[in-house]
Amino acid sequence: MSKILEVSHLSKTFRVGLLARPVVAVRDVSFSMEPGQVLGYLGPNGSGKTTSIKCILGLIQPSQGDIRLFGQSSNSAEARTRVGYMPEHPYFYDYLKPTEVLDYVGQLFGIDAQVRRKRIPELLERLGLGHAMDRTLRGFSKGMLQRVGIAQSLLNDPDLLIYDEPMSGLDPVGRKELRELLVELREEGRSIFITSHILSDIENICDSVVILNQGVAIAEGPLDTLLQRDKLQSSATIRLPSGEQRQAAVDALVALPAVTASTETEGAMMIRLPTDAVPQLSAKAAECGAHLVDLQPVRDTLEELFMRKAVTTASDSGDDS
Amino acid sequence: MKTKWQGIELKVHGPRASLGRVSAVMSNTLRETGRTRAFYGVLIVAMLLLFGSVILSDLALVNQKARLVQDFGLFTIPLVTILTGVLLGVVLLQKEIEKKTLYAILPKPIRRGEFLLGKYLGLCTLLLLEMLVLALCWFAVLALRGGEISAPIFSALLLSYVEVMLITAIATFFSSLSSPLLSGILTLGMFIIGRISYIIVDLMNASKGVFAEVAAMRWLGRGIMVVVPDLSAFNISDELLLGWPVTPEYLLHSIGYGLSYSAIFLVLGLLVFERRDLT
Repeated sequence: MSKILEVSHLSKTFRVGLLARPVVAVRDVSFSMEPGQVLGYLGPNGSGKTTSIKCILGLIQPSQGDIRLFGQSSNSAEARTRVGYMPEHPYFYDYLKPTEVLDYVGQLFGIDAQVRRKRIPELLERLGLGHAMDRTLRGFSKGMLQRVGIAQSLLNDPDLLIYDEPMSGLDPVGRKELRELLVELREEGRSIFITSHILSDIENICDSVVILNQGVAIAEGPLDTLLQRDKLQSSATIRLPSGEQRQAAVDALVALPAVTASTETEGAMMIRLPTDAVPQLSAKAAECGAHLVDLQPVRDTLEELFMRKAVTTASDSGDDS
Repeated sequence: MKTKWQGIELKVHGPRASLGRVSAVMSNTLRETGRTRAFYGVLIVAMLLLFGSVILSDLALVNQKARLVQDFGLFTIPLVTILTGVLLGVVLLQKEIEKKTLYAILPKPIRRGEFLLGKYLGLCTLLLLEMLVLALCWFAVLALRGGEISAPIFSALLLSYVEVMLITAIATFFSSLSSPLLSGILTLGMFIIGRISYIIVDLMNASKGVFAEVAAMRWLGRGIMVVVPDLSAFNISDELLLGWPVTPEYLLHSIGYGLSYSAIFLVLGLLVFERRDLT
């Protein structure tokens, strides 16, 4: 089956100021999406996420690179009919009612008037806006506007949803509801391209991620692989012996090849290592007069992955320079 | 989950679908501009001015009262409608970009040209309605003063509307490439030069004045003649005053001239808008 979205060597440079100083927003980013995949496009503010989306949707022209949607040019009407997009902070005409916004969008998609009349109230009802259908958007809260944004993105029954920072500005309840909705949309078989700078929010939704930092993709691939979920990690608490034996025990335990991290506290130390190396640790501890007193499974998070990659990238570029 | 539908048909190809999209943008623009307070402000002031011309006409000689009301209307209606067109036209695209409403619309299967045309036609429809309201007020005042609502008056209004469409197309063009303030200044500049360009032509033809004597000014004059439309083509107040006939050929020629220039400015606006990065 062909790719839903293919981005090859995308770069975008803006010219700013009177002297048209070049500012690189995105540099040589490549990735692709399979049907049914949920791709997290992550990174801090100003990392180039929205610029990439605008290139994908034809709102701005890439300086370099190629973008294909459903195997076609991203500017083709055919490809656009299969995409639902919600911008960051969705702004719609605030003098319109949600039904009127959706009707306008429906006309742009060439949806029959009869179908629009039936589907629009259904969709708004489903998204919890049934009570506000006859009110203009002027009085809508951020969460309600977000729902209108989602409703208009689903009107054409798209195969690919592109959501730019959908969690931004929502309260915890709104974020939870949106996460649940995204899971439902994924279960319907839709592909979702979602950006966020709040990594923990979408960690459980995505199959794959592309992590951007300063316009450069610093990590890309399936989340399980990136987070090494196949290699279970554990955090062990070791009670150390007192007196002269203490330092010798610390040195011996830290020297174990499987240990990935360690911290020492008063009378104890915490050691992080792959779970399959725990028996080796336990034996070594007993040998040194220490005791394994607690063992907790640990999982790398997206945030930790991002921080690690960002630091590595920064030190690599520092080495280069 | 009930967002997945079976067999929804999206009609996005062909001229009919394209017309549907233009018409959707047009209706929304009409609705949007029709809610602008400035529009109603200008409309009310213009209506008051037209009704005020009754008082003004009392100052005229007895047999000139209707004449004064007629001239006042012929001056006021196009001017007010053109100013409204400039006022709303220069923010036509900028407002969509600033309010970020464009970002949710352009990723849909709509061409930028369709969007621009829809915006332009929506504004032109509003200006037509404004002109009709003002014309009705004018006719009422004219009837009150015993004036005749003759065919040339309708011709004058028709040509004025073509001029309004042309100035609105110029405002749309400038709106696609610069800020509302600069667009407003440039459009009004084009309007003023367009209104007096016939004087430059006369001076050049008569081989006198700065446009005939200085080579650089001669080139400038020729440039103005090409770039700036001659808006005197839409002004038939002399014909009305002197009772000269306005031939159908003249009407058709002026309408064709105005629509051609409007199309040129719209195409130029589209070429700019098509390449513009919506950051």
